[in-house]
Amino acid sequence: MSITAADTDLMQQPAPEAEPRSALGRLLRDPGRVWGYIGIPIVVVASWIAVYRWIAGLELDSIEQRWLNADRVSRAIIEHIQLSLAATVLVIVIAVPLGIMLTRPFAKPLTPLFIGLANIGQAIPSVGLLFFLALPFLLGIGPRTAIVGVVAYCLLPVLRNTMVGIQQVDRALIEAGRGMGLTRGAVLARIELPLAVPVILAGIRTALILTVGTMVLATFINAGGLGDLINGGIVNNRTPVLLTGAVLTAGLALLIDWIAGIAEEVLRPRGL
Amino acid sequence: MEHMIRLDELTKRFPGQLAVDSVSMDIPEGEIVVFVGPSGCGKTTTLKMINRLIEPTSGRIFLEDEDVTRINADRLRRRIGYVIQQIGLFPHMTIASNIATVPRTLGWDKQRIAERVDELLELVGMDPEAYRDRYPKELSGGQNQRVGVARALAADPAVMLMDEPFGAVDPITRERLQNEFLRLQDEVNKTICFVTHDVDEAIKMGDRIAIFGDDHGIQQFDTPEMILSHPANEFVEDFLGSGAALKRLHLRRVREVALTAWPAAGVAEDRDTLREKLEDSEQSFLLLLDEQRQPVRWVSRRDLERGEGRMADRGLPVAAIIEPHATLHDALDEMITSNVGCAVVVDREGAYQGVVDIDPVMTAVNTLRAELRERLAVGSWHAVPTETVEEGTS
Amino acid sequence: MQALGEFLARRWPQLLELAVEHLLLVLTAIVLATFIGVMIGVLVYRSAALSSLATAMTATILTIPSLALFGLMVVWVGLGDRSAVIALTAYALLPIVRNTVTGLQGVDPAVNESAKGMGLSARARLLRIDLPLAWPVILTGVRVATMLIVSIAAIAAYIGAGGLGNWIFDGLARRGSVVAMPLIISGTLGVVAVAFILDGFYIVVGRVTTPRGIRD
Repeated sequence: MSITAADTDLMQQPAPEAEPRSALGRLLRDPGRVWGYIGIPIVVVASWIAVYRWIAGLELDSIEQRWLNADRVSRAIIEHIQLSLAATVLVIVIAVPLGIMLTRPFAKPLTPLFIGLANIGQAIPSVGLLFFLALPFLLGIGPRTAIVGVVAYCLLPVLRNTMVGIQQVDRALIEAGRGMGLTRGAVLARIELPLAVPVILAGIRTALILTVGTMVLATFINAGGLGDLINGGIVNNRTPVLLTGAVLTAGLALLIDWIAGIAEEVLRPRGL
Repeated sequence: MEHMIRLDELTKRFPGQLAVDSVSMDIPEGEIVVFVGPSGCGKTTTLKMINRLIEPTSGRIFLEDEDVTRINADRLRRRIGYVIQQIGLFPHMTIASNIATVPRTLGWDKQRIAERVDELLELVGMDPEAYRDRYPKELSGGQNQRVGVARALAADPAVMLMDEPFGAVDPITRERLQNEFLRLQDEVNKTICFVTHDVDEAIKMGDRIAIFGDDHGIQQFDTPEMILSHPANEFVEDFLGSGAALKRLHLRRVREVALTAWPAAGVAEDRDTLREKLEDSEQSFLLLLDEQRQPVRWVSRRDLERGEGRMADRGLPVAAIIEPHATLHDALDEMITSNVGCAVVVDREGAYQGVVDIDPVMTAVNTLRAELRERLAVGSWHAVPTETVEEGTS
Repeated sequence: MQALGEFLARRWPQLLELAVEHLLLVLTAIVLATFIGVMIGVLVYRSAALSSLATAMTATILTIPSLALFGLMVVWVGLGDRSAVIALTAYALLPIVRNTVTGLQGVDPAVNESAKGMGLSARARLLRIDLPLAWPVILTGVRVATMLIVSIAAIAAYIGAGGLGNWIFDGLARRGSVVAMPLIISGTLGVVAVAFILDGFYIVVGRVTTPRGIRD
């Protein structure tokens, strides 16, 4: 019988080799992170190139030509990024301060209510919320409705992340801060927020991914974005258009998540 | 078959570290062999190589004269009981299913398994009716450890490996479990390898002791008497520590010495009878027993005379109670804490048997010393002690 | 509101039918994802490196916008329920894989050592000890995965799958008519109701399938 991983923890093992000191060394030890930081951008770019070369080798008919040209595609990408960024900024501006406020002592009783709401909110289908807002007697169709709908949909998860992040700050640290004579505000600014930064950053990253993903549905209410290509492909029954849209959209979401992940790594306070 | 287990130059080398260095050992059938030594000496690794939880780097293991170094490890392990300090009962299974694990794997029929489970629970002193359908989390640490032992005995293996089995319980429970286990061993007569880091436990439990040293090999492998009287080297001497004379008291059990008869009477008897009994004796206290003959109170003459009230509330409670399986070391310990200067011996049911006072303890220390001197003179190194000590102790 | 009441009174049976379709769509995907996810978890949990890789890759799937993944499925499999089930299964993997790994890694090493010392084979240890002990954690993952895909399944109507999403998309298509709002609202709330029903279902499943010895 060979020695399996389970055997090794029965042994008194010698001290593991010293952790590699460089960030790259640490990265390379964890295949999950190798996939996340190196694999994903490679796969995304490779899939884009593959689809581009496949399309380039095709005889496109007039419908396909109408969709698959540099102007139309770049317009979809730019629209998508603009819409998503607008929604993300709104989500962050609303959810993070609100989350902080809701963790203050006076709002403690409301905390479970909001966390419960966030859980229920997850069950509401994004299309339902978006299409409801787009009803003629409400907001009607267009980019404005798309932004409002996406913000409404993404607000609760980010709010919950922020609240949980601040709540999980060690009570002893807060008491230590108060004991040293810091005011409540100073405790928040100098202890709670810095310690909650990783979770808030993760919340922002979640907001970004959610908005980029949900914004694909904007096409259904004539708000543009990359969903146009997917929808155009399905409605016109044109696989090249559909595939281009799907691969571009998936790749864009993955790349934005990738950038957000790196930003998260860089912005995280040292020592946490 | 002379030896149940034979280890032949077993060596274990972990990456960059030698854990066990060429250990050879013959373990006779029906004996408890204790592996003892400082942490990191290789005693646990050696134990785990016997059931091949750790595969030896080199060397061979024989079980009942069969080379088991290369046979299917799972099948080998089903022939060997295994008890660990953390017990490792399966929390999602009832006590009965825990015990039934190996029999079920071996394909016993249901009827036989159920009977075996009840038999084992009774063997470890637990009422099958009350415990078989309970879950591990509903039991105390001591009870769980009993179930652990019962589970290891389930398929009646000839060999048991025990890795610091009583290491995680409190001292009082530990002593009780040790005594119970020794009593159990009298009934089941297994060949047992037992790892501990506690010298006193090793001396108490072991028919033979293997002392492992910092060089990951065996420093001395012998009976407790020989190790105590003739430590092989400075390491063993240091490891045994001071008080070797006192430690020898671990080697003799209460049932091996003559008990002193003490005046005893039932709580229900009338005052005159009690007074008479006390006066007939040379002692200044009378031991009161309840209806089950379990000792309850020590009463003095003054307690007997004083006023009205139930006899059972008078005098002092009986604190120092031991079973015949306890060692004289335990008895001495109890005696010192007792207010009367002796320990009361009771049988399994808790009924009064007699008392032990300081005299047999002193005699034991002296005769043990004399016996050892004598035996060394004739050079009988491996004499089993319990057969030779019966005379001369009373 | 009155319009909604009248609408529901009239089309109640159809709503029920769609809800059942929705439920079946989600459950099919969840059963598949549980099977695949637990298998992946079992294969990787002993290695920190493989566990990390499995979690990272299933997390990547979840990052892909649903419409994009549904679109890719249409290219690969075509329109219909099958595409939807495959995509939903893929989305459900992350919580199940992650919790299977966490659950299996959380099994007390002493329990494992004694099981091994008793001579239980690797298979028996997995089926009789490790998986039952990890089950409450795995089930939590399955529950999280279900909540996740119940709402995504509404979008699957767009690629021809059944379920409550059909009314939501119908509502959009008839934006000008009076039935638009009742269609969208009852479709949306129907999805929420299905989520609640499934949540309750998991509480029951948890009770029934968690051995008494490890219940809190």
